[in-house]
Amino acid sequence: MIVSVKNLVKRYGDLVALDHLSFDVREGEIFGLLGPNGSGKTTAINCILSLLTFDKGEIRLFGKPMAPDAYDIKRDIGIIMQDVAVFEELTVYENISYFCSLYVNDKVKRKKLVEEAIEFVGLNDFRNFYPKKLSGGLLRRLNIACGVAHKPKLVILDEPTVAVDPQSRNNILDGIKKLNEGGATIIYTSHYMEEVEQLCSRIMIMDKGKVIAMGSKEELKAMIKLGETISVEIFGLDDNKLDEIKQLPNNISVDYNNRYLTIKYNKGKHNLTNLLDYFKDNNMSFGRVYSEMPTLNDVFLEITGKELRD
Amino acid sequence: MFLYIFCNRLKCIVRDKPLIFWTLIFPLILATFFYMAFSNLTESENFNVVNIAVVDNEQYQKSKEFRDFIEQHSEGLAGDNSSEQLFIAKVVSQEEAEKMLANNEIVGYVTYGNPISLSVKESGFDQTILKEIFDQYSQTESTVYNILDQNPTALQNGLTDDLQRNTEFTREVQIGTKDKPDITVNYFYTLIAMTCFYFGCFGQKEITNTQANLSKRAARLNVAPVHKLKVLTAGVLASLLISLIEVAFLMCYIIFVLKIDFGNQTALVLLTCIVGCACGISFGAFISVVNKKSEGVKTAILIVSTMTACFLSGMMFDKMKYIIQKNIPILAYINPVSLITDAFYALYYYDTYTRFLINIGMLSGFTVLFCLVTYFVMRRQRYDYI
Repeated sequence: MIVSVKNLVKRYGDLVALDHLSFDVREGEIFGLLGPNGSGKTTAINCILSLLTFDKGEIRLFGKPMAPDAYDIKRDIGIIMQDVAVFEELTVYENISYFCSLYVNDKVKRKKLVEEAIEFVGLNDFRNFYPKKLSGGLLRRLNIACGVAHKPKLVILDEPTVAVDPQSRNNILDGIKKLNEGGATIIYTSHYMEEVEQLCSRIMIMDKGKVIAMGSKEELKAMIKLGETISVEIFGLDDNKLDEIKQLPNNISVDYNNRYLTIKYNKGKHNLTNLLDYFKDNNMSFGRVYSEMPTLNDVFLEITGKELRD
Repeated sequence: MFLYIFCNRLKCIVRDKPLIFWTLIFPLILATFFYMAFSNLTESENFNVVNIAVVDNEQYQKSKEFRDFIEQHSEGLAGDNSSEQLFIAKVVSQEEAEKMLANNEIVGYVTYGNPISLSVKESGFDQTILKEIFDQYSQTESTVYNILDQNPTALQNGLTDDLQRNTEFTREVQIGTKDKPDITVNYFYTLIAMTCFYFGCFGQKEITNTQANLSKRAARLNVAPVHKLKVLTAGVLASLLISLIEVAFLMCYIIFVLKIDFGNQTALVLLTCIVGCACGISFGAFISVVNKKSEGVKTAILIVSTMTACFLSGMMFDKMKYIIQKNIPILAYINPVSLITDAFYALYYYDTYTRFLINIGMLSGFTVLFCLVTYFVMRRQRYDYI
C-alpha cells in the first residue's frame, strides 16, 4: 500500500472533522476522495501530510509511519493545493525551480526536471512570466508544475480544478492521467463527481468526516437499487395517465415536471421497452427520450438522502 | 540547497516593490524632508552681517569713541579678517538713511545722541540683535562716564582694559568630539532607527512563507523534505543582507548628500546599523509568530508599534527623548528604536563608550529574545488548524 490510514480521528473542539476514517491507496491507482464541501477531504489530506495534528489513528505512507520529519517519505510526495501556492515575485521558471530545489539538490538534474515540468504543463511560452501575468488556468498549471517537478511517486491533488475554465480543466485532467501513466500514484480530491468518475480507478465518498462508500465506480453504482433514469419529453400528460405510468413494473419514482416525465427504475431489463409500449398502446405522442445510468450523485443521494452538491 | 534558497529569497525581497518603497524610498524621502525643514531652522539661528546706516550728524562727528566702535564692528571699515564684524555701516545724512531704510537697503539706521536711537522698518531677528548691540554700547558708555565722574584717575588705573575683558561666570565643557553639537541630528538618528524597524516587514514575510498555517506556500514548504528552520534561516539572512544594503544607502545619502554628521567612528556606526537591522527583522518575526491574526493586522501592529517607538525616541518632537529619559527612564531602555537612536547619539557626542555599549548590549539582548521566542513557536511541527 502506498497510503494506509486507520481509524483517523480529528476534532476541532466539539466538531468531529474526521470520524474514524480508514482507507488504503494502492500503488499505481488514481484514488478519488469525493464529498461535498466540508466533508473532511482537505482535513484528511493535511493529516496524511503531517501538517495537522490529529487525535487518534495511524497513517503510513510507503509502508512507513508518516511524521513531520520523515524526509525520506516526503521526498516521494508531490502536493498540489486547492489555492495556488507560488511566489508572486518569481517567474514561472524560477517558481518551479525553487520548489524543485527543496527536493533535488543536484543543479544539472534539477534544471532537466524543471524543463520537463514546464513542457508537461505546457508553459514553455510563459516561462519568464510572473504569476500575476498568467490567467487563472495557466496559474493552476504552474501550481501543478511546482508540485510535480521532482517526479514524486505519490501525487496529492486537492481540488485542483476549482474555478478553472473548461479548456484548462481538460488540460489538468489529461496531465493527471499522464502522471499516472508515468507511474505515479494519485490521490485526487474533488466535489465534482464527473471529474472523479472520469479519472479515478477507485473512489471513496465522504460525508461529515466519515467514509460512506468506497470502491470502483461500477462497485459503487452496484451498491444502490437505482438501475437507470429515463426521461421523456411529453406534452399534456394528465393525472390519470401519470397514475397509470406509476403502476408500470420496476419503477422507484415518477415525476412530471416542465413537460419532462422522469422515471427512476430499479435494476432490471426492458424498462425502456415497457414504457414505449405503454405510449404506443395509449396512442400517446412524445418527443426526445433519454436513458441515464446512475451517477455518483445518485449513489450519494441514496446513501445520505441529500445531493452531493448540497 | 541553502544557497539556492538564499538567492531566491533575495530575488523575492528585491522584486517586492511595495516593500522596497517603504523600507528604502520612503526613508529617503523623509530624510530629504527633514533636511529641508531643519536646515531652515538652523539658518534662522545664524546671525549674518547686516547693512546699517549711521547718521552723520554733529554728535557723531564729536564722539571719537562711537566712531571707533562703528569702525571696529563694521565689515567695510574694519577689514575683512575681523572676527568682530557685526554689520556693514555707511555714514550718511539723515535723509539718505531714511531713503535707504525705505528701499530696504539697510536693516536700520543709528542716530548717535543721548540716547542713541535705532530706527528700523520692521521687527525681526537682525533688528533685535542690532538693538542689543547699541543698548550694550549705551550702557557701557554711561558706566564709563559715571566712573570717570566719581573717579577721574580710573582711566590711568586700567579702566579701558577692564572694559574690554569679559568675565564668564559659566564654563563650557566639551563632552564629546563635537565643538558645536547639532540638535537636529537626533531626527536623522530616529529616521534610521525607524527604517531598521520597518525591516520588521522582512521578518514578518519570512514567517508567513514558513508557517504552514499562515500561507499555502508555507504549507507546500512544510511538505518538502527540508527543515523549515533551514529555509527560515536562509530567508532571514537574505533579509538581513538587503536591509544592510538599504540602510547603508540611506546612511550614504544622509552623510554625503545631506551632510549630516555621524561622527568619526564609522565602524561603530556600522555595528549599530547591523544590530539595529537584526533587531528590526527579529521583531517582525516575533510579532508574526506570537499572534494569530491576519497578515494585515500583523502589519498594522508592526507599523503602529514602530511609529509609537519612534515618537517616544523624539522623531516627531525632539524634546520627547529627554522627557522620557527624565520621567520614565525604563521606557528608554525597553524601546529598541530609542536604543538605536541613543547609540548613534552616544557615538556622536561622547568620547567614552559606556553609553553606546549599554545601548548595543540591550539591542542585542532584544534580538536574542525575539529570535528565541520565534524559534520556540516555529519548532512546532504540526498545526491544530490550517
